[in-house]
Formats: sequence, structure tokens, C-alpha cells
Amino acid sequence: MEGKTKKITKKAVLYLVLIILALIWVVPMFTLVATAIKSKSDFYSGAGLFSMPAHVAWDNFVNAITKGRLFTYMKNDLIVSCLKVPLGIFIEALAAFALTRLEIRHKTGTFIFFLIGMMLPMQTALVPINVIYSKLGLLNSYFGLFYVYVGFGISFGILILRGFFNGVPRELDEAAYIDGCNKWQLFYKIIFPVAKPAVATLIITDFLSTWNEYLLASVIINDNMKKTVPVGIMTFVGEHGTDYGYLCAGVLISVIPVLIVYLIFQRHFVEGMAGAVKA
Amino acid sequence: MKKKKNYTRTDKAAYFFLLPAAVIYLSVIVAPVCYSFFISLFKWNGIGEKQFVGLSNYINLFKGDKIFHTAIINNLIWIVLTIFVTMTIALLFAVILSKQFRGRTFFRGFFYFPCVIAPIAVAIIWRWIYNPNIGFINEFFKALGINFTQGWISDPNVSLYAVFAAALWQAIGQPMILFLAGLQAISPDVLEAATIDGANGIEQFFLIKVPLLKDTFVIVIATLIVAAMKVYDVVQGLTGGGPNNATQMLSTYMYSQVFQYNNVGYGTAVACIMVLMMMIVIIPYVSFTAKED
Repeated sequence: MEGKTKKITKKAVLYLVLIILALIWVVPMFTLVATAIKSKSDFYSGAGLFSMPAHVAWDNFVNAITKGRLFTYMKNDLIVSCLKVPLGIFIEALAAFALTRLEIRHKTGTFIFFLIGMMLPMQTALVPINVIYSKLGLLNSYFGLFYVYVGFGISFGILILRGFFNGVPRELDEAAYIDGCNKWQLFYKIIFPVAKPAVATLIITDFLSTWNEYLLASVIINDNMKKTVPVGIMTFVGEHGTDYGYLCAGVLISVIPVLIVYLIFQRHFVEGMAGAVKA
Repeated sequence: MKKKKNYTRTDKAAYFFLLPAAVIYLSVIVAPVCYSFFISLFKWNGIGEKQFVGLSNYINLFKGDKIFHTAIINNLIWIVLTIFVTMTIALLFAVILSKQFRGRTFFRGFFYFPCVIAPIAVAIIWRWIYNPNIGFINEFFKALGINFTQGWISDPNVSLYAVFAAALWQAIGQPMILFLAGLQAISPDVLEAATIDGANGIEQFFLIKVPLLKDTFVIVIATLIVAAMKVYDVVQGLTGGGPNNATQMLSTYMYSQVFQYNNVGYGTAVACIMVLMMMIVIIPYVSFTAKED
């Protein structure tokens, strides 16, 4: 009996801590929503953040889409992300397969060579890529943007996939070879499909970082019609004072696609990260 | 069966598998980094002729540039804060969220949610929270009847920490997931054995879980330091390096030198210093990973 009460107290403490943390963490989310549903006049008439507005200011959402061209930015971002994520993962998986399943002279060296990229700041690529792209006419192009994103994603992708592939039993390879698979088939039919959790994890993290990347996009894309969401949202910020209602509405809408991706793939998220934490 | 030779020869198929990654990696990462080091040796406005100045960009940065000094110190403060604050909180969250209870999936998603928002947008939200007149924090004090207003990001004494707090909201998601993955990989048998031996929860945590999380700590610390070195979006969106350079970071300083003042060579030198500082993290991380291999 005593054990049972102890267990219940433990649970209660757990929930209490969780709720306190959640209350702190919810503040910015609350602010985001509470601001998005209020009009400018609500704020000028002295209604504070905590008071409910008389009407939900749907205008903020409408303005973000029409005046703010939010759908154009989202479409652009979707094109870049949908090119980057699958292609990047495929390229990373090819390399990770070679690093775990094929004979390579300097295996560790090659892996480390790819790993170093994770540590390098995008800032170092900024000026060179700007110079090269303006020569090649790749500024303001989706290709130019997504090519750089693939490059900066390679290190983390290889780290995760290599870690995961290492955990796939070698007996599978032998069985596949006996069944007449060649190396390509072993990769494409056996190893890659088995790595589903790692791929799901990469889809989430890759999609997130591509969708939200600001620095490179702000340098490579100047054309208003080709801007991605983070760069586009920044055009909502006025030179002299910002209409936060409109801005927060824009942020809320732009989060939807990422949220959908997260919800679809989150089941395998933690499991797939295992590739990174086991050396 | 032939005996395996004691040196490995590269399988020809391996070149085919490695080629796409290698081509993109070389052209996006390796070549630009080398080119950056080259540019940093010139005085250049980005359009006209480059003028070779040797190492004088670096000498000027270290000798006489006060803003650059502030930026380096700010980046170092940021690194210390991330290791002690971000990592501790992320670990705490992971430990709680690794337990079995109803609503676990929801809470994992809830605490990961800030990561879903673009960092630049997070900065804007927090600019609003910090608004000295009608922002959340000062409104909150008012609602409690406390007469206290503070210009959070306009006061140079607190602005760096205010920006860090904003970044923290978003920054715990990634390390939290890594810790969760690490905790999940610990075999339940080990913990069960410890329980039988009479170890309580806290003892189990420090004596068993923490040592077993060694690999996880390595990657978390490495990624956190790297992220702290290159932090840009949230600072740019909240303060742009101000007030009076109090929140200037290497990244924001590099950006303003290159794109606002057209000191391309000088700004690129700042980027190269960032790479050199990263090496301090890269070398131990890589040697650790190589040893594990």
C-alpha cells in the first residue's frame, strides 16, 4: 500500500513540474495568438494583451495573405524545401551506405571530412557564393538556393544515416547477396527502407531548417516574388513601427506546413535520432 | 576462401555512391571556405578592384576594433550560457519526458514546438513580448499590480541576456530530442539491476545514466557550441547588434561589414576567424568520433 501512495505522489510531482514548465513555455505562443486576433485599433483603444477583443480580427490573416503575399512566399519555400529534402536525404544515404557497407581505403578519414561541414558557419560561404552566383546568374533562382541547402545539410544527414546503417545487422547483407542482389539493390531495396526512422527524423529536421532558413535566403533572393517565408515575413516589419497583429497572423499561417510535416513523421523522431548519439 | 589482405582497397562502386555528396560538399563548403580565406587578404568593396593587404585585416581586427572585441566576448558569453543553461534545461526536459505517463507525446510536441517557428520570426515575437509599453512582460507586472517597467532590449546592461532568453525558448528542442534518443538507448536491464542494488532515482541518474550518455553529451555540446558561435537570426531580428553594439555577435558584425559598409575583405576576415574558432571545437569532437570508430 505504501508503495502505491509513493507512486501517486511521484506522478503528481511529475505533472506539477510539467505544468509549471509548460506555463512558462506557453507565454510566447500565447502572445502570438493573442496578438494575431486583435486589430490595431484594439491596441490603440488601450485593450491590453490579456483582454479579449470584441471581434476576432480576421483582417490580420486576410491582409497577411493578400497584402503580404504570404501564399507566394509559402509556395516558393515549398518548392525549395520539396526539392531539397528528398534529394538531400537520397544523396546523404548513398554516401552513408558507402561509408558503412563498402570497402573504402580511408573510411574514417572520409567520414570526418564530411563531418567537418557541420561545424562550419554559413557566414563563410556567404561572400564566395554571392560572387560565384552573380557570375553564373544563379542569384534569385530556386536552384541556387536549394543547391546550397543540400550542401549544408550533407554533414548532419551523413552523421544520422551512417549511425543508423551501422546498427543494421550485416546478416541482412549476406542474405541479400546470396539472393542475388547487387550493391545497388542492397542499398535501394534493403538498407534504405530499413532506415525509415532515421529518414523520418531527417525529413523533420531538414524540412524545418530549409523552411526557416533566413541568412542565405536573404542574400541570394532579392526578387520579391521569389522570396521564401522568413525573408518574406521580414517585409512585414515596418521601418517605423510594426503592425504586430498582422505579423503574428502571418507567422501563425506560415507555421502550418512545418507542423503538418512534424505531425506526420514525429512517431519515429526520437528513435531516428539514435544514429547521432551512438558514435 | 582467400585470406583478407591487411589493407583495404576502395571498392569501385564506393566512388559512385560517394560522388554526388562529394561534388556538392566540395562546391558548397570546401571551395567557398578556401575562397573566403583568399578574399580576407584583400581590401575590397565587392565591386571594384581587389587590393592585396596581406594579414592587415586580421591585425586591424585584433588590434584596434573595439566592436569586434565586444562581438567575440559576446559569443563567448553565449557559449557559456548555452552550455550551462540550455543544456541543463534540455536534459531536465528529456529526463521528465522519457518517463512513461499519459500525454507524453503531447508534451514532447509541445516543448519541441518553438523549433518549428523560423528563428527570425521568434525574434519578432519576442521583440513584442519585450515591448516596454504594452509587451507581455510589462503587462504581466501591471496585471499583478507591480509597478515595474524595464526596457529589456533597449538597456545595454540586460539586452544580451534578454536576447539569450528569447533564443533559449527555441534552443532547447534539438538537444532535448538528442538526450531523449540517448536515454532511450540505455538498456532497461541496467536500470533494473541498479534498482535491485538499491540505487535511488538521483543516484541512478548521476552514476548510471550520465556516464552512459557520454556520446550524447559529446554531440550535444559540439552542436550547441557551434550553434552559439554562429547565432545570427534571433540577434539580427531582435536588436540587430544594438543598442550601442551591446549584443553585437561575430555573425551580425560580419554581415554589417560586408553588406552594409561594403568592407567585403574585412567582413570576410571576421567569417574566417569564426572558422578558426570553430576548429577549437571541431578537433576534439572529430578525434573523439574517430577514436570511437
